[in-house]
Amino acid sequence: MSNSLSGPSNFADDGSAVIAREIEVHHSRLATEAQDKIIACSDIYEIDRTVKVIKERGYKRIALQFPDDLLPDSGLVAQLIREQTGSSVYILADTSYGRTSRLPVIYVFGKQPVDVQECANVFDGFFGEDKAKKMVLMYDVIYSHCVDKLMETLEGEMRYTNIIKSRVETESNLGFVLSDQKPIQTSSNKCCQNQGSCCNGESKSCCSQGAAGSSSSCQNRANVNGSSCTSSSGCQTSTSTMAAQQQPSLAEKQSVEDDSTTSDNHKRRRFGRTYDLPEGDSIEDYTLFYIGDESPTLSNIMMTHSKCEVYSYNPEKKEGRLESAQVNRALMRRYFLVQKAKDADVIGIAVGTLGVASYMTMIQHLKALIESKGKKAYTFVMGKLNVAKMANFMEIDCFVYVACPENSLIDSKEFYRPIVTPYELEIALSKSREWTGEYVTDFQQLLPDDDKIGVDKIKISQAQLDAASDREDEDESDQDSDEDQVPHFSLVTGQLKQNKRYTSNKEDSKELSALIEGTKDLTVRNKNTSIATLMSSAAGEYLQSREFRGLEVQLGETPVELATEGRAGIARGYNSESGYEDREKEKY
Amino acid sequence: MVNFTIDQIRALMDKVTNVRNMSVIAHVDHGKSTLTDSLVSMAGIISSARAGEARFTDTRQDEQDRGITIKSTAISLFFEMTEDDLTDVKQKTDGTAFLINLIDSPGHVDFSSEVTAALRVTDGALVVVDCIDGVCVQTETVLRQALGERIKPVVVINKVDRALLELQVTKEDLYQSFSRTIESVNVIISTYKDEVLGDVQVYPEHGTVAFASGLHGWAFTIRQFAQRYSKKFGVDRQKMMTKLWGENYFNPATKKWTTKSTDADGKPLERAFCMFVLDPIFRLFDSAMNKKKEDVYPILEKLNITLKSEEKEYEGKLLLKTIMKKFLPAGEALMEMLVIHLPSPVTAQRYRAETLYEGPLDDECAVGIKECNPNGPLMLYISKMVPTSDKGRFYAFGRVFSGTVRAGLKVRIQGPNYVVGSKTDLFVKSVQRIVLMMGRYVEPIEDCPAGNIVGLVGIDQFLLKSGTITTSETAHNLKVMKFSVSPVVRVAVECKNAADLPKLVEGLKRLSKSDPCVLCYTSDTGEHIVAGSGELHLEICLKDLEEDHAQIPLRKSDPVVQYKETVQAESSVTALAKSPNKHNRLFLKATPIGEDLSNAIEKGVVAPRDELKARARVLSDEFGWDNAEARKIWSFGPDGSGPNVIVDMTKGVAYLSEIKDSCVAAFQWATREGVYADEQMRGCRFNILDVVLHADAIHRGGGQIIPACRSAIYASAMVAQPGFMEPIYLVEITCPEGAMGGIYGVLNKRRGQVFNEEQRPGTPMFLIKAYLPVAESFGFTTDLRAATGGQAFPQSVFDHWEMMNGVLGEDAKLEALVLAIRKRKGLKVEMPKLENYMDRL
Repeated sequence: MSNSLSGPSNFADDGSAVIAREIEVHHSRLATEAQDKIIACSDIYEIDRTVKVIKERGYKRIALQFPDDLLPDSGLVAQLIREQTGSSVYILADTSYGRTSRLPVIYVFGKQPVDVQECANVFDGFFGEDKAKKMVLMYDVIYSHCVDKLMETLEGEMRYTNIIKSRVETESNLGFVLSDQKPIQTSSNKCCQNQGSCCNGESKSCCSQGAAGSSSSCQNRANVNGSSCTSSSGCQTSTSTMAAQQQPSLAEKQSVEDDSTTSDNHKRRRFGRTYDLPEGDSIEDYTLFYIGDESPTLSNIMMTHSKCEVYSYNPEKKEGRLESAQVNRALMRRYFLVQKAKDADVIGIAVGTLGVASYMTMIQHLKALIESKGKKAYTFVMGKLNVAKMANFMEIDCFVYVACPENSLIDSKEFYRPIVTPYELEIALSKSREWTGEYVTDFQQLLPDDDKIGVDKIKISQAQLDAASDREDEDESDQDSDEDQVPHFSLVTGQLKQNKRYTSNKEDSKELSALIEGTKDLTVRNKNTSIATLMSSAAGEYLQSREFRGLEVQLGETPVELATEGRAGIARGYNSESGYEDREKEKY
Repeated sequence: MVNFTIDQIRALMDKVTNVRNMSVIAHVDHGKSTLTDSLVSMAGIISSARAGEARFTDTRQDEQDRGITIKSTAISLFFEMTEDDLTDVKQKTDGTAFLINLIDSPGHVDFSSEVTAALRVTDGALVVVDCIDGVCVQTETVLRQALGERIKPVVVINKVDRALLELQVTKEDLYQSFSRTIESVNVIISTYKDEVLGDVQVYPEHGTVAFASGLHGWAFTIRQFAQRYSKKFGVDRQKMMTKLWGENYFNPATKKWTTKSTDADGKPLERAFCMFVLDPIFRLFDSAMNKKKEDVYPILEKLNITLKSEEKEYEGKLLLKTIMKKFLPAGEALMEMLVIHLPSPVTAQRYRAETLYEGPLDDECAVGIKECNPNGPLMLYISKMVPTSDKGRFYAFGRVFSGTVRAGLKVRIQGPNYVVGSKTDLFVKSVQRIVLMMGRYVEPIEDCPAGNIVGLVGIDQFLLKSGTITTSETAHNLKVMKFSVSPVVRVAVECKNAADLPKLVEGLKRLSKSDPCVLCYTSDTGEHIVAGSGELHLEICLKDLEEDHAQIPLRKSDPVVQYKETVQAESSVTALAKSPNKHNRLFLKATPIGEDLSNAIEKGVVAPRDELKARARVLSDEFGWDNAEARKIWSFGPDGSGPNVIVDMTKGVAYLSEIKDSCVAAFQWATREGVYADEQMRGCRFNILDVVLHADAIHRGGGQIIPACRSAIYASAMVAQPGFMEPIYLVEITCPEGAMGGIYGVLNKRRGQVFNEEQRPGTPMFLIKAYLPVAESFGFTTDLRAATGGQAFPQSVFDHWEMMNGVLGEDAKLEALVLAIRKRKGLKVEMPKLENYMDRL
């Protein structure tokens, strides 16, 4: 449809490419089936529940958000909701967003069929010998609807005694009270229903709204909200209700806890999943059973629970397997990326989302960390990452990606430069952290407690950091301390790596004034008569290393030539190239 | 009793003309360390009774236990010459006292890098050759290396006692055996002839060959005997020397010298060497060993040897040893030879400067080196790191080529990647202390002038393995050492206890420092890799890592071999890749560059830093390149220097210069991580045939070009009969005839190919040379010993890369190999598909 609009344009892309671009779509089965069947659609998208909430709260303007692969269903869903509620319904075009305001959100994951009996049999096959084995049951959100049934089977018929179910939240908003069956929220006027939450970042499968969407996850989203709710009293209440483990699709809140600071009631929360461990138990004692396909969610779970055995059941293929074997490998791969980050002199902070809570704090935190090591930081707002985008910045040695945890683990060999998570960068740069095999994908856990509270504190903490780093600088210049100048042993190359120090502006000016003074003396001119002293600037240095440094004016050196006719047509296929195409076809 | 003091040594350091820096090099088990003991005992550091047993320079416990040298060890010795002997020294001297800085090096091929590091800081080499085994593979390797560094060799033929006691050869046979060995040494020397160094072949009649028994502690050169006989015959010493070797005969009847082997009546005459040199030795051996003690004394009297009363009680070997040591003390003979024939630093640096220094030969540093000027700018080359008793710290061991280094001096520490004028790999630091390396001890000294070997304290953190220390801001680097071995065998190590990781990392760093050759890094799968030159090397490294450097229990993987990806033909079609926005297109073809050029690039004969036109000339003259194309090489890769090239063969493409950096980046990346197994590429040339670029600069940035160019390179390789190369060892095995069957059996089982088999002249030993894939070499030594009852001892050294049979993507065996590698690396276990990289218009 868009092709008719497109024409050669000398100045700008008319956007047709974007419209025509094929996007990798996973799990479109649900979408196509649903298209004709309103009933199916209502069921999968839980229209009834949604409508009920909207009506109860009297929300007037509703925004829907879908992951790319479910967008085909968006019209129908919008229509259904509009018809049933009378509210105005909008569909957000951008899937890569995060929470931008404190609007209430309802998550709809959709439902995928699971053969519960089969699943239970597989489970029994693995663990039948020890019915008292300590297990945590985890699942992809699209299967959340049947988990209770599975629990019943396992605990009832099969008599397992030590299974703990993890929970995924389906709604979120700040500081309001939830009652189990009736999530009511009154603190806000507008309701924004996000179908399929979102995650930002690499598109692949990150958003599982409507469930089907790739196996993964809305949890990140949940997580985001979760963390902002930290320690609100309402949360505590709700969690305790949940402990009953009876209510379906509970939303729940809980403070973010790092392993090390496990709270008394042993609640664990990772990727928006929560589970309660009995007093005195640690997660290392447990075996995880995961229902769902291979997905970033699963790898995330495995990374963050690297010390547990993880089994999975794939409802589509109806098979189960032990996954843990892969974990070490994935972790080791991350370890390698940490080493790469250690060697980097210029680090790009790629911001994948502006929606994740305290992202700003995180960026400041990272910046301060990078600069305290004398490295150079650049900040990029990236949105979704792709290979081409990232390769545009050849001067960057390593990127650190600030995004929701689910999507931060980017490990594709296709990328020109490594992309690490904030946690990994901390390990790489900060002496206080070391690689232990523990893994944190949620950067909120990295921030000092103060920082979590909000943006207000940024200035203060930043100022403190500045002051601290100033002191450090002075110390260095005074004592000529060896610490930072000693090259480190790079495990990537096996050589010593000299740490470049891109000095702060203050020092630059010092150096500059020294240079100006110095120019009174005779200086040795180098061969190219170019400037011999480079201010310690990462960009300047990079430019020097490049062969092409922009057009050179060679007045009088290049002969004058008559203009000749160049190519005609558009860049993706110039007119002169049709013949070429045929020729190439013959060869195949 | 130490017969010299540190102060004496320090005083001698200033008289550079009286300094000799030398290494002892040889094939494994030819007796370097034992011989070195004789020299050390001369200096009184070990008692002469224990010389030959102590192996003073084998400082490590495992060296003592295994009886092999692993690390090269330096020691400074003091030697006093007589005025008379001094006349034979054909270079400037200053007094009769000499300082000899000796470095004992390992003989096993796996530790060749230690030899290289030793050679760099010395000017002369004592080449030890076993008189029975003769010249072996490692003899040749180290000799070649020495000559490459312009190091003058002298030879000592060792283990003469074995020839006499075990083989019971005749005098003439022994002479023939000696001369054959010398001949083979000279063949090697003349092969690597260097005009500047002049004729450095060795001649017994000149006194550049010694004959010795390290174990018994005796040695002689013709000169010693010439000295004895010159008085008796009233002939000049020099003249006498020439008479005592070669086709010179003495007719006792006529008392005339002749060059004919028969007298006037046609009766055979005894060779002068046999008559005057070997005869007394044979008689001593005979009488001492065959209980004819009474015969001994008259000879002793003749030779002016007096035995102490308790020594008179000795029997057999002990008696022989005692007598021989008194008759021909090894230390004296060897020291004399070294002092007379090896160059002093002043002599040597004059011709070595140009091979040592990277910069222009007329700058102050080059001049300082040439003159060996203690007042010039400091130029010091650190060739290796020696662990101190302080864990994790090292002495930086090296040679002062110019200037004087003293404690507290602020120096510039230039690492291997330092480029003049830049700040990369450059540190300015103070030297804390200076030490003299004395085998297992160190002695602090105040300062050290040019021409001497020294250890520095306090700069080890700034250098990994080697580097240049200078005070001149304009100094270029001293040339990086070229090793004859490369780390081709790798194992992954992990700590048994996850919490030990930081210790492991620190351990790897220390290991990396302590060995000139070992490579420690993290593979991109996150495994910690230790790479060594061979199984033994790895074994020692891992042991050091576990016991000394990291001190944690380790788990080791099976050894892993590195492969190379390559192409075997020109791309059958032009590979096209589009940029992600589809607006830029690159057309590429891959072709093989040939083994010769690959080797030339790897050896540095053709190098990225070469001047463009000169390089183009070499490429067109020697490798058949089109001269115009040769000038359009954009880059070498991987790492900017590897044996792959990317060539611009486009015509009239606008903005091409703008994407060059992006293409080069993609090329480096693609050649570092080949498409099939993520292994490095080798021997590929990528021709950029055409490029279509978007007119708007923003659409042809790195983001578009890098992925496209990488895809195009992969695609072009995939349609160019992609192949796999594996590393091959050259194996040399010496064994008796009876063991040969077993050797063949083991080799056959391991895809080994024997290409040479010969009997060592004059011995019952056979020498087998074979090629053996490194991948099949693990456990080879053990198997071989088992199959031959311990009679065969192989020496394996990396020789070349060999194309494996078959084309990737067609050959099932190769595919299995690729998949296995991919599995190990955690890549998708499937062959990469062309569609993923090749675009269509």
